Amino acid sequence: MARATRLSSRVDFLLFVGCVIFSTIALVLPTQMREPIAESLRRSLVAPLVGLQSNAERWRTAWQLSEERTARLDSAVMRGFNAVALQTENDELRKLLGLGARMRTGFVPAEAVHNAVREDVVTTLTLTAGTKAGIKVYSPVVSPEGVVGLVQNADPAISIAILFSHPDFRASAMSGDGTAFGIVYPHLQQGLGGGGGYLLELRGVPFRTTLTPGMMIYTSGLGGTFPRGIPIGIVMRELKTAEGWTRTYLLQPSVNPARVTSVMVLTPQRSEVRLDNVWQRVARVDSATRNVVAAGDSLLRRAAADSARRAAAATALERPDTSARPPAVTPAATRDSVRATPRPARRDSGAVRRDSARRDSVRRDSARRDSVRRDSARRRDSTRPDTTVRRDSTYHDSPTTLR
Amino acid sequence: MSWTNAVRTAVICAILIVLHYTLRPLLAWRASIDFLIIALMFGSVRMRPGLAALFGFALGLVSDSLSPGAFGAAALGMSVVGFGASWLKAVFFADNLALNGFFIFLGKWTFDLIFILVGHRVHGGELFMQIVVWSSHAAAVTALAGVLAISLLRPLMEVRTA
Repeated sequence: MARATRLSSRVDFLLFVGCVIFSTIALVLPTQMREPIAESLRRSLVAPLVGLQSNAERWRTAWQLSEERTARLDSAVMRGFNAVALQTENDELRKLLGLGARMRTGFVPAEAVHNAVREDVVTTLTLTAGTKAGIKVYSPVVSPEGVVGLVQNADPAISIAILFSHPDFRASAMSGDGTAFGIVYPHLQQGLGGGGGYLLELRGVPFRTTLTPGMMIYTSGLGGTFPRGIPIGIVMRELKTAEGWTRTYLLQPSVNPARVTSVMVLTPQRSEVRLDNVWQRVARVDSATRNVVAAGDSLLRRAAADSARRAAAATALERPDTSARPPAVTPAATRDSVRATPRPARRDSGAVRRDSARRDSVRRDSARRDSVRRDSARRRDSTRPDTTVRRDSTYHDSPTTLR
Repeated sequence: MSWTNAVRTAVICAILIVLHYTLRPLLAWRASIDFLIIALMFGSVRMRPGLAALFGFALGLVSDSLSPGAFGAAALGMSVVGFGASWLKAVFFADNLALNGFFIFLGKWTFDLIFILVGHRVHGGELFMQIVVWSSHAAAVTALAGVLAISLLRPLMEVRTA
Protein backbone atom coordinates (compact mmCIF):
# COMPACT_ATOMS: atom_id res chain seq x y z
CA MET A 1 0.00 0.00 0.00
CA ALA A 2 2.77 2.38 0.98
CA ARG A 3 4.70 1.30 -2.07
CA ALA A 4 1.72 2.02 -4.31
CA THR A 5 1.33 5.41 -2.74
CA ARG A 6 4.99 6.21 -3.24
CA LEU A 7 4.72 5.03 -6.82
CA SER A 8 1.74 7.23 -7.55
CA SER A 9 3.51 10.16 -5.94
CA ARG A 10 6.49 9.59 -8.15
CA VAL A 11 4.23 9.35 -11.18
CA ASP A 12 2.55 12.60 -10.21
CA PHE A 13 5.91 14.26 -9.76
CA LEU A 14 7.16 12.89 -13.06
CA LEU A 15 4.07 14.14 -14.82
CA PHE A 16 4.54 17.53 -13.29
CA VAL A 17 8.19 17.62 -14.28
CA GLY A 18 7.26 16.52 -17.76
CA CYS A 19 4.70 19.31 -18.04
CA VAL A 20 7.27 21.84 -16.86
CA ILE A 21 9.85 20.56 -19.30
CA PHE A 22 7.44 20.63 -22.22
CA SER A 23 6.31 24.11 -21.25
CA THR A 24 9.89 25.28 -21.08
CA ILE A 25 10.63 23.71 -24.44
CA ALA A 26 7.57 25.49 -25.87
CA LEU A 27 8.87 28.71 -24.41
CA VAL A 28 12.30 28.43 -25.92
CA LEU A 29 11.17 27.22 -29.30
CA PRO A 30 11.88 29.62 -32.14
CA THR A 31 8.92 31.51 -33.51
CA GLN A 32 8.81 29.65 -36.83
CA MET A 33 8.46 26.39 -34.92
CA ARG A 34 5.99 27.41 -32.21
CA GLU A 35 3.65 29.19 -34.59
CA PRO A 36 2.66 26.03 -36.53
CA ILE A 37 1.91 24.31 -33.24
CA ALA A 38 -0.28 27.17 -32.06
CA GLU A 39 -1.95 27.34 -35.45
CA SER A 40 -2.72 23.65 -35.45
CA LEU A 41 -4.22 24.00 -31.99
CA ARG A 42 -6.33 26.98 -33.08
CA ARG A 43 -7.59 25.07 -36.09
CA SER A 44 -8.47 21.90 -34.22
CA LEU A 45 -8.99 21.78 -30.48
CA VAL A 46 -9.33 25.47 -29.78
CA ALA A 47 -11.35 26.28 -32.91
CA PRO A 48 -14.75 26.24 -31.13
CA LEU A 49 -13.35 28.44 -28.38
CA VAL A 50 -11.88 30.81 -30.95
CA GLY A 51 -15.30 31.02 -32.57
CA LEU A 52 -16.93 31.75 -29.23
CA GLN A 53 -14.38 34.41 -28.43
CA SER A 54 -14.69 36.12 -31.81
CA ASN A 55 -18.47 36.11 -31.49
CA ALA A 56 -18.24 37.60 -28.02
CA GLU A 57 -15.84 40.25 -29.30
CA ARG A 58 -18.25 41.03 -32.13
CA TRP A 59 -21.15 41.38 -29.71
CA ARG A 60 -19.14 43.67 -27.55
CA THR A 61 -18.08 45.78 -30.51
CA ALA A 62 -21.67 45.98 -31.71
CA TRP A 63 -22.80 46.97 -28.25
CA GLN A 64 -20.14 49.64 -28.02
CA LEU A 65 -20.95 50.89 -31.50
CA SER A 66 -24.62 50.98 -30.65
CA GLU A 67 -23.93 52.95 -27.50
CA GLU A 68 -21.61 55.24 -29.39
CA ARG A 69 -24.14 55.71 -32.16
CA THR A 70 -26.90 56.44 -29.67
CA ALA A 71 -24.68 58.92 -27.87
CA ARG A 72 -23.76 60.55 -31.18
CA LEU A 73 -27.42 60.72 -32.18
CA ASP A 74 -28.32 62.22 -28.80
CA SER A 75 -25.56 64.77 -29.19
CA ALA A 76 -26.76 65.65 -32.68
CA VAL A 77 -30.34 66.04 -31.51
CA MET A 78 -29.17 68.17 -28.59
CA ARG A 79 -27.09 70.31 -30.92
CA GLY A 80 -30.10 70.67 -33.17
CA PHE A 81 -32.26 71.84 -30.28
CA ASN A 82 -29.55 74.20 -29.14
CA ALA A 83 -29.09 75.56 -32.63
CA VAL A 84 -32.77 76.42 -32.96
CA ALA A 85 -32.83 77.97 -29.50
CA LEU A 86 -29.61 79.88 -30.18
CA GLN A 87 -30.87 81.14 -33.50
CA THR A 88 -34.09 82.36 -31.93
CA GLU A 89 -32.21 83.99 -29.09
CA ASN A 90 -29.74 85.50 -31.52
CA ASP A 91 -32.52 87.04 -33.59
CA GLU A 92 -34.17 88.41 -30.49
CA LEU A 93 -30.95 89.87 -29.14
CA ARG A 94 -30.17 91.44 -32.51
CA LYS A 95 -33.55 93.14 -32.48
CA LEU A 96 -32.98 94.23 -28.92
CA LEU A 97 -29.59 95.63 -29.86
CA GLY A 98 -31.19 97.59 -32.67
CA LEU A 99 -33.84 98.91 -30.32
CA GLY A 100 -31.21 99.88 -27.78
CA ALA A 101 -29.21 101.73 -30.41
CA ARG A 102 -32.29 103.68 -31.42
CA MET A 103 -33.31 104.49 -27.86
CA ARG A 104 -29.74 105.36 -26.86
CA THR A 105 -30.51 106.03 -23.20
CA GLY A 106 -33.14 105.57 -20.57
CA PHE A 107 -33.62 101.84 -20.59
CA VAL A 108 -32.48 98.81 -18.63
CA PRO A 109 -32.02 95.54 -20.48
CA ALA A 110 -33.23 92.49 -18.61
CA GLU A 111 -33.81 88.83 -19.15
CA ALA A 112 -37.38 87.65 -18.81
CA VAL A 113 -37.63 84.48 -16.76
CA HIS A 114 -40.87 82.63 -17.14
CA ASN A 115 -42.48 81.04 -14.13
CA ALA A 116 -41.49 77.48 -13.33
CA VAL A 117 -45.16 76.53 -13.15
CA ARG A 118 -46.41 76.07 -16.68
CA GLU A 119 -49.28 78.44 -17.39
CA ASP A 120 -51.76 78.32 -20.21
CA VAL A 121 -51.67 82.07 -20.28
CA VAL A 122 -48.48 83.82 -19.29
CA THR A 123 -49.49 86.84 -17.23
CA THR A 124 -46.35 87.63 -15.25
CA LEU A 125 -42.63 87.58 -15.87
CA THR A 126 -39.66 87.76 -13.58
CA LEU A 127 -37.06 90.23 -14.79
CA THR A 128 -33.39 89.91 -13.91
CA ALA A 129 -33.02 93.58 -13.02
CA GLY A 130 -34.37 95.57 -10.12
CA THR A 131 -34.25 98.85 -8.33
CA LYS A 132 -30.46 98.80 -8.28
CA ALA A 133 -30.56 99.12 -12.04
CA GLY A 134 -33.05 101.99 -11.89
CA ILE A 135 -36.26 100.07 -12.33
CA LYS A 136 -39.30 101.34 -10.47
CA VAL A 137 -42.84 100.19 -10.08
CA TYR A 138 -44.95 100.91 -13.19
CA SER A 139 -41.87 101.13 -15.39
CA PRO A 140 -42.91 100.12 -18.92
CA VAL A 141 -41.53 96.84 -20.23
CA VAL A 142 -41.02 96.74 -23.98
CA SER A 143 -39.49 94.48 -26.57
CA PRO A 144 -38.42 95.20 -30.14
CA GLU A 145 -41.95 94.28 -31.25
CA GLY A 146 -43.74 96.58 -28.86
CA VAL A 147 -45.43 96.73 -25.46
CA VAL A 148 -44.86 93.75 -23.18
CA GLY A 149 -46.23 94.98 -19.86
CA LEU A 150 -45.24 97.00 -16.85
CA VAL A 151 -43.36 96.41 -13.63
CA GLN A 152 -45.58 95.52 -10.70
CA ASN A 153 -43.00 94.76 -7.99
CA ALA A 154 -39.43 95.94 -7.96
CA ASP A 155 -36.86 94.37 -5.67
CA PRO A 156 -33.19 95.34 -5.56
CA ALA A 157 -32.06 92.57 -7.86
CA ILE A 158 -35.19 91.35 -9.62
CA SER A 159 -38.59 92.67 -10.50
CA ILE A 160 -41.94 91.21 -11.39
CA ALA A 161 -43.76 92.48 -14.44
CA ILE A 162 -47.36 91.93 -15.41
CA LEU A 163 -47.93 91.36 -19.08
CA PHE A 164 -50.66 92.80 -21.24
CA SER A 165 -52.46 89.50 -20.78
CA HIS A 166 -52.84 90.22 -17.07
CA PRO A 167 -56.38 91.23 -16.06
CA ASP A 168 -55.04 94.37 -14.38
CA PHE A 169 -53.24 95.65 -17.46
CA ARG A 170 -54.42 98.93 -19.02
CA ALA A 171 -52.77 101.23 -21.54
CA SER A 172 -53.89 104.41 -23.23
CA ALA A 173 -53.74 103.88 -26.96
CA MET A 174 -54.26 105.60 -30.25
CA SER A 175 -54.48 104.70 -33.87
CA GLY A 176 -51.49 105.25 -36.09
CA ASP A 177 -52.98 108.36 -37.69
CA GLY A 178 -53.91 109.80 -34.32
CA THR A 179 -57.60 110.03 -35.12
CA ALA A 180 -58.83 107.53 -32.55
CA PHE A 181 -57.96 107.13 -28.92
CA GLY A 182 -58.99 104.47 -26.46
CA ILE A 183 -57.93 102.22 -23.62
CA VAL A 184 -56.39 98.82 -24.20
CA TYR A 185 -57.59 95.93 -22.02
CA PRO A 186 -56.75 92.25 -22.13
CA HIS A 187 -59.34 90.26 -24.00
CA LEU A 188 -60.64 87.83 -21.39
CA GLN A 189 -64.00 86.69 -22.66
CA GLN A 190 -62.86 84.03 -25.12
CA GLY A 191 -60.04 82.72 -22.99
CA LEU A 192 -56.51 83.80 -23.51
CA GLY A 193 -54.08 81.28 -24.82
CA GLY A 194 -56.73 79.35 -26.63
CA GLY A 195 -57.13 79.14 -30.33
CA GLY A 196 -56.95 82.88 -30.69
CA GLY A 197 -53.83 83.20 -28.59
CA TYR A 198 -53.22 86.40 -26.68
CA LEU A 199 -55.69 89.09 -27.69
CA LEU A 200 -56.41 92.63 -26.57
CA GLU A 201 -59.36 94.98 -26.70
CA LEU A 202 -59.29 98.64 -27.62
CA ARG A 203 -62.24 100.14 -25.80
CA GLY A 204 -63.70 103.61 -25.71
CA VAL A 205 -63.07 104.53 -29.33
CA PRO A 206 -65.48 107.34 -30.33
CA PHE A 207 -68.42 106.06 -32.29
CA ARG A 208 -67.77 108.43 -35.17
CA THR A 209 -64.32 106.87 -35.69
CA THR A 210 -64.00 103.64 -37.58
CA LEU A 211 -60.79 101.62 -37.53
CA THR A 212 -60.02 99.28 -40.37
CA PRO A 213 -58.56 95.82 -39.81
CA GLY A 214 -54.79 95.82 -40.09
CA MET A 215 -54.40 99.27 -38.61
CA MET A 216 -51.58 99.49 -36.07
CA ILE A 217 -52.40 100.74 -32.57
CA TYR A 218 -49.78 102.55 -30.49
CA THR A 219 -49.49 103.88 -27.01
CA SER A 220 -50.74 107.45 -26.88
CA GLY A 221 -48.59 108.69 -24.05
CA LEU A 222 -51.61 109.80 -22.08
CA GLY A 223 -51.55 108.77 -18.46
CA GLY A 224 -47.80 109.01 -18.16
CA THR A 225 -47.01 105.33 -17.82
CA PHE A 226 -46.20 104.37 -21.38
CA PRO A 227 -44.48 106.88 -23.63
CA ARG A 228 -46.18 107.71 -26.88
CA GLY A 229 -45.49 105.64 -29.95
CA ILE A 230 -44.89 102.07 -28.77
CA PRO A 231 -46.70 99.50 -30.91
CA ILE A 232 -49.39 97.56 -29.08
CA GLY A 233 -51.09 95.53 -31.75
CA ILE A 234 -53.06 95.38 -34.95
CA VAL A 235 -56.80 95.84 -35.31
CA MET A 236 -58.48 92.54 -36.12
CA ARG A 237 -62.15 93.42 -36.10
CA GLU A 238 -64.80 95.34 -34.23
CA LEU A 239 -66.43 93.73 -31.22
CA LYS A 240 -70.14 94.12 -30.69
CA THR A 241 -70.84 95.57 -27.28
CA ALA A 242 -73.88 96.85 -25.45
CA GLU A 243 -72.48 100.37 -25.36
CA GLY A 244 -73.88 102.41 -28.17
CA TRP A 245 -71.70 105.49 -27.93
CA THR A 246 -68.25 103.94 -28.23
CA ARG A 247 -66.67 101.22 -30.28
CA THR A 248 -64.54 98.31 -29.11
CA TYR A 249 -61.98 96.63 -31.34
CA LEU A 250 -60.19 93.32 -31.01
CA LEU A 251 -56.40 93.61 -31.33
CA GLN A 252 -53.73 91.11 -32.22
CA PRO A 253 -50.78 92.00 -29.97
CA SER A 254 -47.43 92.74 -31.54
CA VAL A 255 -45.66 90.65 -28.89
CA ASN A 256 -46.16 87.01 -28.03
CA PRO A 257 -45.53 86.86 -24.26
CA ALA A 258 -44.75 83.16 -24.31
CA ARG A 259 -41.72 83.81 -26.51
CA VAL A 260 -40.35 86.83 -24.72
CA THR A 261 -36.91 86.11 -23.30
CA SER A 262 -35.20 89.51 -23.33
CA VAL A 263 -36.87 92.84 -22.70
CA MET A 264 -36.08 96.45 -22.00
CA VAL A 265 -37.47 98.31 -19.05
CA LEU A 266 -37.87 102.03 -19.66
CA THR A 267 -36.71 104.24 -16.86
CA PRO A 268 -38.89 107.11 -15.65
CA GLN A 269 -36.72 109.64 -17.52
CA ARG A 270 -37.35 107.81 -20.74
CA SER A 271 -41.03 107.38 -20.06
CA GLU A 272 -41.49 111.13 -20.29
CA VAL A 273 -40.00 111.29 -23.76
CA ARG A 274 -41.88 110.28 -26.85
CA LEU A 275 -40.58 107.22 -28.62
CA ASP A 276 -41.77 108.15 -32.09
CA ASN A 277 -38.24 108.04 -33.45
CA VAL A 278 -37.69 104.57 -32.06
CA TRP A 279 -40.42 102.75 -33.83
CA GLN A 280 -40.07 104.01 -37.39
CA ARG A 281 -43.61 103.47 -38.49
CA VAL A 282 -44.95 105.70 -35.79
CA ALA A 283 -42.62 108.45 -36.91
CA ARG A 284 -43.89 108.21 -40.46
CA VAL A 285 -47.50 108.26 -39.36
CA ASP A 286 -46.87 111.19 -37.06
CA SER A 287 -45.12 113.10 -39.79
CA ALA A 288 -48.13 112.64 -42.03
CA THR A 289 -50.41 113.73 -39.20
CA ARG A 290 -48.39 116.89 -38.64
CA ASN A 291 -48.52 117.68 -42.34
CA VAL A 292 -52.26 117.30 -42.40
CA VAL A 293 -52.60 119.59 -39.40
CA ALA A 294 -50.23 122.14 -40.92
CA ALA A 295 -52.14 122.10 -44.18
CA GLY A 296 -55.37 122.68 -42.30
CA ASP A 297 -53.83 125.64 -40.50
CA SER A 298 -52.62 127.25 -43.69
CA LEU A 299 -56.07 126.91 -45.22
CA LEU A 300 -57.54 128.66 -42.21
CA ARG A 301 -54.96 131.41 -42.49
CA ARG A 302 -55.70 131.73 -46.18
CA ALA A 303 -59.42 132.01 -45.54
CA ALA A 304 -58.81 134.64 -42.88
CA ALA A 305 -56.61 136.63 -45.21
CA ASP A 306 -59.24 136.44 -47.95
CA SER A 307 -61.94 137.73 -45.67
CA ALA A 308 -59.65 140.55 -44.51
CA ARG A 309 -58.94 141.49 -48.09
CA ARG A 310 -62.60 141.52 -48.92
CA ALA A 311 -63.34 143.67 -45.92
CA ALA A 312 -60.68 146.09 -47.09
CA ALA A 313 -62.23 146.16 -50.54
CA ALA A 314 -65.65 146.83 -49.05
CA THR A 315 -64.21 149.74 -47.08
CA ALA A 316 -62.72 151.10 -50.27
CA LEU A 317 -66.13 150.97 -51.94
CA GLU A 318 -67.56 153.19 -49.26
CA ARG A 319 -64.93 155.83 -50.20
CA PRO A 320 -65.13 156.15 -54.00
CA ASP A 321 -62.80 159.21 -54.15
CA THR A 322 -59.96 157.46 -52.52
CA SER A 323 -60.60 154.28 -54.40
CA ALA A 324 -60.41 156.15 -57.73
CA ARG A 325 -56.66 156.14 -57.73
CA PRO A 326 -55.71 153.73 -60.47
CA PRO A 327 -51.91 154.00 -60.38
CA ALA A 328 -51.79 152.78 -56.81
CA VAL A 329 -53.64 149.54 -57.42
CA THR A 330 -53.92 148.69 -61.06
CA PRO A 331 -50.31 148.36 -62.17
CA ALA A 332 -49.57 146.05 -59.29
CA ALA A 333 -52.64 144.03 -60.01
CA THR A 334 -51.58 143.76 -63.60
CA ARG A 335 -48.14 142.56 -62.69
CA ASP A 336 -49.53 140.13 -60.20
CA SER A 337 -51.98 138.75 -62.65
CA VAL A 338 -49.16 138.04 -65.04
CA ARG A 339 -47.01 136.48 -62.37
CA ALA A 340 -49.74 134.56 -60.73
CA THR A 341 -51.02 132.62 -63.68
CA PRO A 342 -49.17 129.30 -63.01
CA ARG A 343 -49.25 129.59 -59.24
CA PRO A 344 -52.58 128.03 -58.38
CA ALA A 345 -51.40 124.66 -59.66
CA ARG A 346 -48.17 124.88 -57.64
CA ARG A 347 -50.06 125.86 -54.55
CA ASP A 348 -52.35 122.87 -54.85
CA SER A 349 -49.54 120.39 -55.26
CA GLY A 350 -47.70 121.99 -52.38
CA ALA A 351 -50.59 121.29 -50.10
CA VAL A 352 -50.37 117.61 -50.89
CA ARG A 353 -46.66 116.93 -50.63
CA ARG A 354 -45.43 119.08 -47.84
CA ASP A 355 -42.88 117.97 -45.29
CA SER A 356 -41.61 121.36 -44.31
CA ALA A 357 -45.01 122.74 -43.66
CA ARG A 358 -43.84 126.00 -42.22
CA ARG A 359 -41.74 127.08 -45.17
CA ASP A 360 -44.48 126.26 -47.60
CA SER A 361 -47.05 127.96 -45.51
CA VAL A 362 -44.94 131.12 -45.55
CA ARG A 363 -44.73 130.98 -49.28
CA ARG A 364 -48.35 130.15 -49.44
CA ASP A 365 -49.25 133.11 -47.27
CA SER A 366 -47.31 135.46 -49.42
CA ALA A 367 -48.89 133.95 -52.47
CA ARG A 368 -52.22 134.26 -50.82
CA ARG A 369 -51.80 137.98 -50.56
CA ASP A 370 -51.03 138.05 -54.22
CA SER A 371 -53.88 135.77 -54.99
CA VAL A 372 -56.34 138.30 -53.69
CA ARG A 373 -55.12 140.71 -56.24
CA ARG A 374 -54.74 137.99 -58.79
CA ASP A 375 -58.27 136.83 -58.26
CA SER A 376 -59.52 140.31 -58.57
CA ALA A 377 -57.54 140.79 -61.74
CA ARG A 378 -58.89 137.54 -63.14
CA ARG A 379 -62.38 138.49 -62.33
CA ARG A 380 -61.83 141.83 -63.93
CA ASP A 381 -60.59 140.15 -67.05
CA SER A 382 -63.46 137.80 -67.16
CA THR A 383 -65.87 140.64 -66.81
CA ARG A 384 -64.31 142.87 -69.40
CA PRO A 385 -61.76 140.91 -71.33
CA ASP A 386 -61.07 143.52 -73.99
CA THR A 387 -60.62 146.45 -71.76
CA THR A 388 -57.60 147.62 -69.93
CA VAL A 389 -57.52 148.29 -66.25
CA ARG A 390 -59.61 151.19 -65.27
CA ARG A 391 -60.36 152.95 -62.07
CA ASP A 392 -63.91 151.64 -61.80
CA SER A 393 -62.71 148.06 -62.21
CA THR A 394 -61.85 148.11 -58.57
CA TYR A 395 -65.37 149.07 -57.90
CA HIS A 396 -66.64 146.07 -59.83
CA ASP A 397 -64.14 143.66 -58.14
CA SER A 398 -65.49 144.32 -54.77
CA PRO A 399 -66.79 141.19 -53.00
CA THR A 400 -70.12 142.77 -52.43
CA THR A 401 -70.54 143.33 -56.13
CA LEU A 402 -69.50 139.79 -57.06
CA ARG A 403 -71.60 138.18 -54.47
CA MET B 1 -13.40 10.08 -7.77
CA SER B 2 -16.30 8.22 -9.25
CA TRP B 3 -17.21 8.44 -12.89
CA THR B 4 -20.28 10.49 -12.06
CA ASN B 5 -18.24 13.02 -10.21
CA ALA B 6 -15.64 12.99 -12.94
CA VAL B 7 -18.30 13.79 -15.52
CA ARG B 8 -19.77 16.50 -13.32
CA THR B 9 -16.37 18.04 -12.82
CA ALA B 10 -15.67 17.84 -16.53
CA VAL B 11 -18.97 19.50 -17.35
CA ILE B 12 -18.40 22.27 -14.84
CA CYS B 13 -14.89 22.83 -16.10
CA ALA B 14 -16.17 22.91 -19.66
CA ILE B 15 -18.78 25.51 -18.71
CA LEU B 16 -16.13 27.60 -17.00
CA ILE B 17 -13.86 27.34 -20.03
CA VAL B 18 -16.70 28.43 -22.29
CA LEU B 19 -17.42 31.33 -19.96
CA HIS B 20 -13.77 32.32 -20.24
CA TYR B 21 -14.15 32.78 -23.99
CA THR B 22 -17.60 34.30 -23.98
CA LEU B 23 -18.33 36.26 -20.82
CA ARG B 24 -14.82 37.56 -20.31
CA PRO B 25 -14.55 39.33 -23.71
CA LEU B 26 -18.01 40.77 -23.16
CA LEU B 27 -17.10 42.21 -19.78
CA ALA B 28 -13.64 43.35 -20.94
CA TRP B 29 -12.63 44.56 -17.50
CA ARG B 30 -9.14 45.82 -16.90
CA ALA B 31 -8.82 43.30 -14.04
CA SER B 32 -10.85 40.51 -15.54
CA ILE B 33 -12.08 37.20 -14.19
CA ASP B 34 -9.92 34.27 -15.19
CA PHE B 35 -12.39 31.42 -15.57
CA LEU B 36 -9.61 29.10 -16.75
CA ILE B 37 -7.92 29.39 -13.36
CA ILE B 38 -11.23 28.71 -11.61
CA ALA B 39 -11.77 25.65 -13.81
CA LEU B 40 -8.21 24.52 -13.11
CA MET B 41 -8.67 24.91 -9.35
CA PHE B 42 -12.00 23.09 -9.47
CA GLY B 43 -10.53 20.25 -11.38
CA SER B 44 -7.21 20.13 -9.56
CA VAL B 45 -8.65 19.59 -6.09
CA ARG B 46 -10.48 16.54 -7.42
CA MET B 47 -7.50 15.00 -9.20
CA ARG B 48 -4.18 13.62 -8.32
CA PRO B 49 -1.36 16.17 -8.58
CA GLY B 50 0.07 14.61 -11.69
CA LEU B 51 -3.24 14.71 -13.51
CA ALA B 52 -3.81 18.23 -12.24
CA ALA B 53 -0.47 19.26 -13.71
CA LEU B 54 -1.47 17.68 -17.03
CA PHE B 55 -4.84 19.42 -16.88
CA GLY B 56 -3.11 22.69 -16.23
CA PHE B 57 -0.67 22.06 -19.04
CA ALA B 58 -3.55 21.39 -21.44
CA LEU B 59 -5.43 24.50 -20.39
CA GLY B 60 -2.22 26.51 -20.65
CA LEU B 61 -1.63 25.28 -24.18
CA VAL B 62 -5.16 26.27 -25.13
CA SER B 63 -4.54 29.70 -23.69
CA ASP B 64 -1.13 29.96 -25.33
CA SER B 65 -2.47 29.05 -28.71
CA LEU B 66 -4.48 32.26 -28.71
CA SER B 67 -1.54 34.37 -27.56
CA PRO B 68 1.45 32.94 -29.36
CA GLY B 69 3.75 35.75 -28.28
CA ALA B 70 4.52 33.87 -25.06
CA PHE B 71 3.77 30.36 -26.17
CA GLY B 72 4.41 27.99 -23.24
CA ALA B 73 4.24 30.56 -20.46
CA ALA B 74 0.62 29.86 -19.61
CA ALA B 75 1.22 26.12 -19.87
CA LEU B 76 4.06 26.38 -17.40
CA GLY B 77 2.12 28.59 -15.03
CA MET B 78 -0.98 26.46 -15.06
CA SER B 79 0.98 23.26 -14.64
CA VAL B 80 2.58 24.69 -11.52
CA VAL B 81 -0.69 26.05 -10.21
CA GLY B 82 -2.60 22.83 -10.91
CA PHE B 83 0.01 20.62 -9.31
CA GLY B 84 0.38 22.95 -6.33
CA ALA B 85 -3.38 23.23 -5.81
CA SER B 86 -3.87 19.51 -5.90
CA TRP B 87 -0.90 18.86 -3.59
CA LEU B 88 -1.91 21.57 -1.12
CA LYS B 89 -5.48 20.37 -1.08
CA ALA B 90 -4.25 16.88 -0.31
CA VAL B 91 -2.00 18.11 2.50
CA PHE B 92 -4.25 20.72 4.07
CA PHE B 93 -7.81 19.56 3.59
CA ALA B 94 -10.53 22.06 4.35
CA ASP B 95 -13.91 22.49 2.73
CA ASN B 96 -14.16 26.14 3.50
CA LEU B 97 -15.35 28.86 1.15
CA ALA B 98 -12.85 31.41 2.38
CA LEU B 99 -10.03 28.93 2.04
CA ASN B 100 -11.19 28.03 -1.45
CA GLY B 101 -11.29 31.72 -2.28
CA PHE B 102 -7.82 32.17 -0.93
CA PHE B 103 -6.61 29.22 -2.98
CA ILE B 104 -8.08 30.66 -6.11
CA PHE B 105 -6.57 34.06 -5.34
CA LEU B 106 -3.20 32.49 -4.73
CA GLY B 107 -3.46 30.32 -7.83
CA LYS B 108 -4.37 33.21 -10.07
CA TRP B 109 -1.71 35.49 -8.69
CA THR B 110 0.93 32.77 -8.99
CA PHE B 111 -0.11 32.04 -12.51
CA ASP B 112 0.10 35.72 -13.43
CA LEU B 113 3.49 36.00 -11.78
CA ILE B 114 4.86 33.05 -13.73
CA PHE B 115 3.16 34.13 -16.95
CA ILE B 116 4.51 37.67 -16.75
CA LEU B 117 8.00 36.76 -15.65
CA VAL B 118 8.45 33.92 -18.10
CA GLY B 119 6.73 35.64 -20.97
CA HIS B 120 8.97 38.76 -20.68
CA ARG B 121 6.04 40.93 -21.69
CA VAL B 122 6.56 43.88 -19.36
CA HIS B 123 9.56 45.35 -17.62
CA GLY B 124 10.54 47.78 -14.89
CA GLY B 125 7.86 49.83 -13.20
CA GLU B 126 5.19 48.48 -15.44
CA LEU B 127 6.10 44.96 -14.35
CA PHE B 128 5.79 46.00 -10.73
CA MET B 129 2.45 47.64 -11.34
CA GLN B 130 1.21 44.64 -13.25
CA ILE B 131 2.20 42.18 -10.52
CA VAL B 132 1.25 44.21 -7.49
CA VAL B 133 -1.79 46.07 -8.70
CA TRP B 134 -3.41 44.50 -11.73
CA SER B 135 -2.60 40.89 -11.00
CA SER B 136 -3.77 41.31 -7.42
CA HIS B 137 -6.98 42.90 -8.63
CA ALA B 138 -7.53 40.19 -11.20
CA ALA B 139 -6.81 37.53 -8.58
CA ALA B 140 -9.28 39.08 -6.19
CA VAL B 141 -11.98 39.30 -8.84
CA THR B 142 -11.28 35.74 -9.90
CA ALA B 143 -11.42 34.57 -6.30
CA LEU B 144 -14.76 36.25 -5.81
CA ALA B 145 -16.14 34.69 -8.97
CA GLY B 146 -14.72 31.33 -7.88
CA VAL B 147 -16.34 31.56 -4.45
CA LEU B 148 -19.61 32.43 -6.10
CA ALA B 149 -19.32 29.48 -8.47
CA ILE B 150 -18.40 27.09 -5.64
CA SER B 151 -21.32 28.17 -3.52
CA LEU B 152 -23.65 27.69 -6.49
CA LEU B 153 -22.23 24.32 -7.54
CA ARG B 154 -21.45 22.89 -4.11
CA PRO B 155 -24.33 20.38 -4.19
CA LEU B 156 -22.91 18.92 -7.38
CA MET B 157 -19.32 18.72 -6.26
CA GLU B 158 -17.56 16.23 -4.14
CA VAL B 159 -14.23 17.12 -2.61
CA ARG B 160 -11.55 14.52 -2.77
CA THR B 161 -10.11 13.54 0.59
CA ALA B 162 -6.49 12.68 1.04
